[in-house]
Amino acid sequence: MADAATPAMFAIVTTDKNTVLYGGMAPVFLAPNNVERDRVAMWLCRITNAIVHDLHNGTVILTVNQASASSG
Amino acid sequence: MSGASAPVNWTPMIIAFLAGFISRLLYLRSGRSHNPGYPSGYMIQIALGVIAAMIGSSVIVSLIGKEFTAATFLTLAATQFFNVRSNERKTLEQEESLILVGRGAGYIEGISITYEARNFLAMLIALATSIVAELNLWVGIAGGIAFIIFGEMYMSGPRLGQLVDVEITELRYEKGTLLYVGPVMLMEVGLADSRERYRKEGVGVLLKPRDARGEAVLWNVAQRQAIAHLAAAAVGVQKDVGYPEQGVICRMNMPAGLGQAGLAIIPVERDTEKLVRAIRNVPVLESSKWSRVRNTKKQQKRKGEAHG
Repeated sequence: MADAATPAMFAIVTTDKNTVLYGGMAPVFLAPNNVERDRVAMWLCRITNAIVHDLHNGTVILTVNQASASSG
Repeated sequence: MSGASAPVNWTPMIIAFLAGFISRLLYLRSGRSHNPGYPSGYMIQIALGVIAAMIGSSVIVSLIGKEFTAATFLTLAATQFFNVRSNERKTLEQEESLILVGRGAGYIEGISITYEARNFLAMLIALATSIVAELNLWVGIAGGIAFIIFGEMYMSGPRLGQLVDVEITELRYEKGTLLYVGPVMLMEVGLADSRERYRKEGVGVLLKPRDARGEAVLWNVAQRQAIAHLAAAAVGVQKDVGYPEQGVICRMNMPAGLGQAGLAIIPVERDTEKLVRAIRNVPVLESSKWSRVRNTKKQQKRKGEAHG
């Protein structure tokens, strides 16, 4: 592995549904505010071994990396 | 040896065997690669070392005794040692999926090559010593010691600390979620909980290359994986399955490309001195032995600073 494995987007959690178009590959979870969004994101990521990334527009995405269990 | 041949002089063989075996034993000190770790692992290596030293020491003696068949068979036995590398690699690769911070393929290859090379070195030292010991007992002993010292010097590669300065540096965030060590961005931490963990318990380390060689070493991703592994092995890492973004990460200064690397770790044992010592002691991998790279961006920046 010379480069990091390409992660797959697993889920999207957002407070602003205008930032996300439906019909993609990942389920979208709506949250009323940032606190609830972070709570949902944390539950999902702990359950699925995903990594959370903040897009800074009210949306966080969860990505699952095949090699995430072994590579730092 | 058959009864018809001349009486065998065992002395050179014994001295040579001891020299070869000692050289193999000297390198079995764990610590460096955390492998072997258990008596069973040592046992395999010691047994192989005994065989290697035996082969090396008996070739000359059997040639002198005009036992050419025996000498030929001994060279045949030597080829068995080519399997050592693939065996060692297989073991370590199996382990890779079971440890949270992997060694990386480059480091695994380095360890396996070293193991293989060490057996052949034991063989060569035994062979060379047996030649010298044919002359005289004391010359043989002196020669054996000299060969062992020479082998030790020649076989130990450079350590990271010789090429790179290691400094503890504070972790900080930019734009709220981007984790930085000094000027090096490591990753985007989207989860507030993880950000808090890095802020409270994380330790940042900045790796500054001293010269062009050190920079070439840091640019190698296998080398950085080895650094992450050995850092985690030294102070532990608070990471478990289900927490992929917490633990240890080692990245280059990108996109600025100024050739420094940063490392963030959430250690179990908060001993920064031990961490720095472990990173300085990381072996420079064979795969990172590129030629020197002269960083033009760094030179431009330096010029800019001089003018400004």
